[in-house]
Amino acid sequence: MRELWPWLTLIFRRPGRLFVGGILILATLLSGMGLLALSGWFITATALTGLLLAAGVQASLNLYVPGGGIRFFAVARTVARYAERVYNHDTVLRLLTDIRVALFERLSLSARYRRNALRGPQWLSRLTNDVDALDTLYLRLIAPAALAALVTAILIAVAGIFYSQDLALGLLITLVPAFLVATVVVFLRTRHLVYRQTDARERVRTDVIEHIEGFAELTAAGRTGKHAALCLRQADQIARNDSRADTRTGWNLGLAQVMVNLAVVLALWMGLQLFQQESISGPVVVLLPVALLGLLEVYSMLPDAFARLGGTLASAARLNRDCAAESGTGPGAEQLPLDSGHALELERVTIRFGDHSPVLSRFDLTVPTGEWVSVIGSSGAGKSSLAEVMAGLEKPASGCARRLPSAYLTQQTVLFEDTLKANLLIGRPDARDADLWRVLELVAMADRFTHEPAQLNTWLGSMGSQLSGGEARRIALARVLLNESPLLVLDEPFTGVDSETRDSIAAGMKQWLAGKTVVALGHAPEALPASDRTIRLS
Amino acid sequence: MAEQAAARRWLSGLAAHGRPLILATVSAGVVVGLATIAQMAFLAGIVHQGIVGEVPLEELTLLFAGVVMAILVRGIAQGLQARFAARCSRKVRSQVRREISRCWQATGPVAMGQISAGTLAREWLDHTDALHGYFGRFLPQMLLAVIVPLLILAVVFSLDWLAGIFLLLSAPLIPLFMALVGMGAEKLNQRHFQTIGRLSGQFLDKVRGLTTLQLFGQTAPAAETLRQRSDDYRRVTMKTLRIAFLSSAVLEFFASVAIAVVAIYIGFGLLGYITYGPSDELTLFSGLLVLLLAPEFFQPLRLLSQHYHDRAAAMGASAEIVDRLQQVDEEETPVKRAFQPRAPDQVSVQDLSVAYDPERPVLDQVSIEIRKGDVIALTGPSGGGKSSLLYLIAGFMQPDAGTISVFGDAPGEQPFGWLGQSPFLVHGTWADNLRLTTPDASDVAIETALRQVGLGDLLNSRERGIYSRITEDGQGLSGGQARRLSLARVFVANYDLILLDEPTAGLDSDSEIYILQALHKLAKAGKTLIFATHHQALLTLANRTLLVSEGGVKDA
Repeated sequence: MRELWPWLTLIFRRPGRLFVGGILILATLLSGMGLLALSGWFITATALTGLLLAAGVQASLNLYVPGGGIRFFAVARTVARYAERVYNHDTVLRLLTDIRVALFERLSLSARYRRNALRGPQWLSRLTNDVDALDTLYLRLIAPAALAALVTAILIAVAGIFYSQDLALGLLITLVPAFLVATVVVFLRTRHLVYRQTDARERVRTDVIEHIEGFAELTAAGRTGKHAALCLRQADQIARNDSRADTRTGWNLGLAQVMVNLAVVLALWMGLQLFQQESISGPVVVLLPVALLGLLEVYSMLPDAFARLGGTLASAARLNRDCAAESGTGPGAEQLPLDSGHALELERVTIRFGDHSPVLSRFDLTVPTGEWVSVIGSSGAGKSSLAEVMAGLEKPASGCARRLPSAYLTQQTVLFEDTLKANLLIGRPDARDADLWRVLELVAMADRFTHEPAQLNTWLGSMGSQLSGGEARRIALARVLLNESPLLVLDEPFTGVDSETRDSIAAGMKQWLAGKTVVALGHAPEALPASDRTIRLS
Repeated sequence: MAEQAAARRWLSGLAAHGRPLILATVSAGVVVGLATIAQMAFLAGIVHQGIVGEVPLEELTLLFAGVVMAILVRGIAQGLQARFAARCSRKVRSQVRREISRCWQATGPVAMGQISAGTLAREWLDHTDALHGYFGRFLPQMLLAVIVPLLILAVVFSLDWLAGIFLLLSAPLIPLFMALVGMGAEKLNQRHFQTIGRLSGQFLDKVRGLTTLQLFGQTAPAAETLRQRSDDYRRVTMKTLRIAFLSSAVLEFFASVAIAVVAIYIGFGLLGYITYGPSDELTLFSGLLVLLLAPEFFQPLRLLSQHYHDRAAAMGASAEIVDRLQQVDEEETPVKRAFQPRAPDQVSVQDLSVAYDPERPVLDQVSIEIRKGDVIALTGPSGGGKSSLLYLIAGFMQPDAGTISVFGDAPGEQPFGWLGQSPFLVHGTWADNLRLTTPDASDVAIETALRQVGLGDLLNSRERGIYSRITEDGQGLSGGQARRLSLARVFVANYDLILLDEPTAGLDSDSEIYILQALHKLAKAGKTLIFATHHQALLTLANRTLLVSEGGVKDA
């Protein structure tokens, strides 16, 4: 349960909203119960009075108060229900924002995010599902469970005050287990079934993807059928666990309802006893059992929500793990100051992945301020890893890297679903529009956007203007060029840009970046701007 | 709309498959409804006897026993309903997965290669799971939402027809009511999921570019943008939701008002204030029973509206699944022509034609004979038909005309070795990877095969030999190593025929040498090798080179 704490504290940062939302749900539940209970009371009272009248006995009954009450509860239930849904939906959307913003802030501080494993599309889709599981925690689980407990307590108290202590005790003995059966017991009985489901699903997904990628080889070997059967068996195992969890939830719901119904019977039995001892009137006998019948609806929402709690805990645990701020293996004593004339110093830098042989071993490089260096290497030669070390994004396996503040163009083009302006301002937040147009001119993208109606406010991304790969690359390059850092690390700056444009941009960059230090990495010299020095990785 | 109709047809086909379990679910639900009616009748009876009849409690024991029985039956039926529903959903999903797997086999590796593996896996796994709510909850509830209210209505009519009419009027024709609920719920769901989708999109977009934001120190402003955008979306969504929630409020309103009207009518009737209709026959028993049944009349409808999003999810998912299944049906219809076996010691291609564009056939009336043990290099311009010829001999594709016989069998009938351009690894050990295609390979055979393709050094560096995992700590094998691993599968399996598509393209020189050596060994072992290549060293390995271009094949 501890894994939920960070998220619960986040949710309870809006106590006012949660309280009002809870009150509205309570009003809905109480008016529903009140409507039925009062109607039961009214029918019994009128039946008794009617019999007296029929027997010719003088009798009267105040019809206005109960009649008005019934009408009030009928309207109150509708209104409260509508208000509750609108208000609580608003709350859920607010919590959704809170959770996403908090998660984003935590991720941006987390060292772990920088690891490649966390950036794939599969991780992103899992992240989405995990966050979704937390969004509805309040509305599905916390509020209904708390209010069910509250309403139960109210009914027991009413029984104790207006009926008898024994009846209150009897209700306590039947309703408390009913509440537990609908909540904690469901959770405990389904937890192990649902906790690992997401991980199991991801394993199956990996297997299915492998099945598809190896389809030709499997077909050639005549093994597609067998391998598909393997995937099917795994998927069926997951479906079986789902199915068992659903079945258990169903039985628990049934059991909880049996217990609530038994409480109804108990209330009727003891109520009739009290009636026959003439300590309460006939209509009052009916009041409590009918109100208790209303509890069925309250309890019916709980088992399903608690059956999902196991999965929610797993989601929370994953999010906590992925966003954990790592106690970084500190820079240590190796950080000698950077030589004043130098922009970048790499000393005996070794880069390796796991237990594989190093991609780069004891690599030395000193770049004086103002120098332009090209690093050439075929794919897989460790270019991008070297770039990450140069930009300070990664630490080398051994050796040390010292640098001036740097701007880094990653090999992958990253643009945000936002306006062109917002995308560029990331590079330099205080840039004026004129600066933006100048840099767009440099990367030969100004024409493209002067013709757009929204100009700098043109929306980029899937919902807005579609850029080609080369165009997107140039926007990303423009963003780095805007940045004021004295050192630029450019990994394949011209991917997807035709050679003519490339040459004109390279010429423009020479002027724009005068005085700055540039390290450009690429697969061939012609993919990079002209440089003072060229280094080949082998 | 046509898509929707196709999806609906497909779903009802599946429902027919799971019919016994759906019927069992519905039957259990009907038992729940009947037990509920019985429970309420007993309760009303007890109240009537105890309060109006003033019967001593001891004489009511039988009625109390009855109510407890009804409650137990209700609980058990409820559990059974959940159990049947869960099993039905599981059965249907398993059936759908089987169907998709069969569809993949019919599609064949060539067409499958055109679609992203992630998309196909999502259809197989996630879209299929999206059917769960439909078969487990929505579909049975749709039937129950008709049957149970009708049962209750019948009971109420028999007690007091005027009260029955009140109920009936408050739910004017159940189907109409359901449509109202459905439309509201559907719109609401679309809105809701759209908003969630957009919010998630904004969030994921920022997370995806987090490194870039970190590099420029812009994470805090990005978080602020995220908050603002989310807030904007919330405001817009809430405007629509306020309207959309009205439809469920209508259902709630009718239910509440019906209960209130029935209660007041019964009360006045019992007092004798109503002088027309059946009200003079009302008793506390019948009056209370009608009141207790009134909420149960609406309950199935409310449940249905809660499950409505299951329907929307299932419709969306099945539209995409049906789309995929139909693609295959269309492509797969043409040929299953009679196969004519030829000489068992050769690969014989007769009058083979295939065209993606009818104007420009890739292969036009091609005939070749390849003897067992030949090493054949297919060469020629890219797009000239080399790969197509390989696919046809492999049986991955059907020709438009002509026949192929592979050692006396139809193509693909006997296992053979295939080495494609994209290497294929599974998560797991070296042994797992080789046993994938040759399950009964011995440890020694696996190790030998890996050494044959020059992976011996790598294997030696691993603690647990062939039982160590291929990818440890992040980075896996290089492209060349992965291709050699695929070749090791061919070594361990001892196939007669081995087809290779550009086996050395894009490899580093180390891997290239290993692959050449390995192919040489296979050729010497008397295997029939056919490969498409431009690579000079490979061409010299062949004892026959065929030039594939402009629809024809000739010896080069």
